Amino acid sequence: MVLERLRLDGKVAIVTGAGRGLGRQMSLALAEAGADVVCAARTAEQIERTAKDIEALGRHAVAQPTDVRDSKQCEALIQRAADEFGHLDIMLSNAGIGDARGMSSELWDVTDDDWRDTLDVNLSSAFYCARAASKQMVAEGHGGVIINVASGTAMRANPTGFGYGAAKAGVIALTKSLSAMLQKHNIRVNCIVPGFVAQAPPRNEQQRDFTLARGRYIAAQRLGYAWELGPLAIFLASDASSYVNGQPFVIDGGGLAGGLAPMGFAPEVAV
Amino acid sequence: MKNEWGDVRSGTDAYDLAGKKALVIGAGDPAGRAIALALGEAGADVTVSSISNDGDEIMRAKKVQQELTKMGRKSATVATDVTLGTGVQVMVRQVAKDLGSLDILVNAPDLFLGKPADATTDMEWNRVMQVVLSGTFHACRAAGKEMLKQRSGRIINVSSVLGERGMANAAAYCAAQAGVLNLTRALSQEWGPSGITVNAIAQGWMDYSPAIGNPDPAANQTVRFVPMKRAGAADELASLAVYLASDSSAYISGQVMSVDGGLTTHL
Repeated sequence: MVLERLRLDGKVAIVTGAGRGLGRQMSLALAEAGADVVCAARTAEQIERTAKDIEALGRHAVAQPTDVRDSKQCEALIQRAADEFGHLDIMLSNAGIGDARGMSSELWDVTDDDWRDTLDVNLSSAFYCARAASKQMVAEGHGGVIINVASGTAMRANPTGFGYGAAKAGVIALTKSLSAMLQKHNIRVNCIVPGFVAQAPPRNEQQRDFTLARGRYIAAQRLGYAWELGPLAIFLASDASSYVNGQPFVIDGGGLAGGLAPMGFAPEVAV
Repeated sequence: MKNEWGDVRSGTDAYDLAGKKALVIGAGDPAGRAIALALGEAGADVTVSSISNDGDEIMRAKKVQQELTKMGRKSATVATDVTLGTGVQVMVRQVAKDLGSLDILVNAPDLFLGKPADATTDMEWNRVMQVVLSGTFHACRAAGKEMLKQRSGRIINVSSVLGERGMANAAAYCAAQAGVLNLTRALSQEWGPSGITVNAIAQGWMDYSPAIGNPDPAANQTVRFVPMKRAGAADELASLAVYLASDSSAYISGQVMSVDGGLTTHL
């Protein structure tokens, strides 16, 4: 049955950046599909809230405050999953932040620290988590799934910052090579590539107007909703995607498929 | 599940297709068959169609219909030559009328030509183009008319990783599948504002691919070339098709999603 292959009962997942936005919604979705979840992020209160909401769904969850820029903390995170649940099946590396403040100023004003911090939080974090998680999965003697989260800015220019896109392009390349490298251990590695996705419902009129205006440039005529990442994460985490490996999965309302003319430009010219 | 976004679909209910009306063209062959059955398992009523007037192919589609009916779904078989635009238009209109709407279209034509380019005849080239590319366009155009009226719909074109890469003895097929992939992208832009998503699933080496012969990795160098060291099964395409057919995939459009065991990551 196809729907049974989309279940995650008995699986244990780690989600980084689980406190809010996409990470929070993907954590809740994995739990809804049957997984127990270790929620990680820097801010303890936010991941404690996600963990509490997961417990309310009848699954088990723990919150592990983690700064993913620090490989030691990533290793401690993977250890926490093993200690708490006895095994690890799904590593979802979602943590990331936009460019450091300096990245949108003149290029020569960007400091080494700005650049390194952007790469650390968006790219190195995925490497640290994949390294520790795959070691744990192999030690446990079973396969697993690693899901990274990149961004549409990995494939297109971003005039308001370049470090984030460069780091996320790195995440896509990392995904492909790790998929080939971990194949022999029965670990699949794939990548979600979100386009413009609203992290939370608009809180006021001004935010609503902003999201509506931005949505006009997208084929779907709107921004994505954070919760829409959930079913895609479940698909990639489950046996339903058993022959999918090393692939970026774009969820962007049709943005990357177009982009050669403003939305609505539709020339009519006879042959 | 209720959270700050309201009552959102997650868990298995995210893929529920109860009440949806689907048409699967090419259901007599393995990919179309598996997808038709999976859509049925997820709750959709599915009409199955052949891609030609070949009697054996129509009978294979008919068997799929019987399985769908056994599941308790409303199902019918139609015979269509997808190379004839008017015929496809009449068929799709009739199917939409019979079903009451048309929510999901799957194009899964199964036709491969393995031949050196310099030996490919006009007839062979045209046949591949007509069935794979024109056939897909004919069905998209006809289904699009229904979906534009409803202002909603899901179109899934089952294509191939050969639409994005070249391979020896496959010039016509590579060209036709590349056409299908960019047709998918173009339609996603044109129909996106009307609530219609258009996506493609790119198959890698599947255990039914006529091009590879024996799918056993021990006997087959092509299968050993796949990073996963095995050919894929039709069921492994079908689960992705169910997701792309569901309401949950509303924000995915114009995408080519490879189900290929890592094949396209190969150096």
